[in-house]
Amino acid sequence: MAYSDKVLDHYSHPRNVGSMDKNDPNVGTGMVGAPECGDVMKLQVKVDEATGIIADAKFKTFGCGSAIASSSLATEWLKGKTVDEALAIKNTDIVNELSLPPVKIHCSVLAEDAIKAAIGDYKKKQGAHKPAGETVAS
Amino acid sequence: MATETHPETATACWSCGQGAESAHFCASCRKVQPAVPMDFFRFFGLERKLNLDLAALEKEFYRLSRKLHPDLYARASSEEQGWSLVKSSQLNDAYRALKDPVARTQYLLELEGVKLEEQSSAATLAARESGAEKKQVVPPELLEEVFELNMQLQELRMGKQMGEEDPEVITGLRAAKSKFEAMLEGITGELKILWNAWDAALDSEERTGVRDRLVALLNRRSYVRNLVRDVNDALEA
Repeated sequence: MAYSDKVLDHYSHPRNVGSMDKNDPNVGTGMVGAPECGDVMKLQVKVDEATGIIADAKFKTFGCGSAIASSSLATEWLKGKTVDEALAIKNTDIVNELSLPPVKIHCSVLAEDAIKAAIGDYKKKQGAHKPAGETVAS
Repeated sequence: MATETHPETATACWSCGQGAESAHFCASCRKVQPAVPMDFFRFFGLERKLNLDLAALEKEFYRLSRKLHPDLYARASSEEQGWSLVKSSQLNDAYRALKDPVARTQYLLELEGVKLEEQSSAATLAARESGAEKKQVVPPELLEEVFELNMQLQELRMGKQMGEEDPEVITGLRAAKSKFEAMLEGITGELKILWNAWDAALDSEERTGVRDRLVALLNRRSYVRNLVRDVNDALEA
């Protein structure tokens, strides 16, 4: 299959590969996978406590080039966004940016799932840390 | 192999008017019967069960191949020619799907409404329609495990790339290969246990329970199968 230049760029030079301490209360971890292709994707966000802005994002994906590129792009987009802005990222944005062909759309869906899972994990941690009444609205 | 009588197929023969009984040939006049869409188990006159006698299946496949062969119908009516052609092609598809243990299980799950190839996209669609949060198809423990195994494998592969033929890395890769292959074998064993559970299930509630366990097991299998493939690639590279 012919990959677009942007996919190839992210695939050959993935941004933000790595991991953060998943026990850190300001870090949210999302681990998702698609059994049909055997992909597994881990995406983490670190939220600045004072500003509520995503200060850092890391990922590690085992899967095809499109899955790697989708998650790499997602981490680039996440940095500097608020949690709510991050949740607004749609898989179609990733499809358009990377010119993914129809058979690879599920890779972008996986990246969207990973963002939602990471933010969900972060919110859960924050909710558990704060006294009742101050939980982050979901 | 016992041929079952199905209400839908026990219709009158199109040619002689007697009860045709078999899905393929009339019991009285032996003429080929119209080709209709039917599931692969029914094609072979089998119940929807996962344990099956492979030798009997093969024998029935060859018997039907001969009896349905289009050459035998060269002088028959054009309808009969068409039916023999369609049935021959159904026969090949049915045999291919049923003889392989994993393909058979996947096929049965498809009949039970689960398309393994579309689970994640189906879950996405369902979540969009209901507005609820998407339900992840793979349990987190499995993802954690697969992630860890992939990390180890990647380390070994990088070691191999850097250190040419470092014997320690090769030993590590071989150990990983044995481990993954043992996992795959373990899954095959578990699959047989679930086959028995499916075949013994008494009602639809019980069957649904077994069905979901089969889906989970085959998902796990697809990850482990990829690991086996990747470790073999790494050893050969």
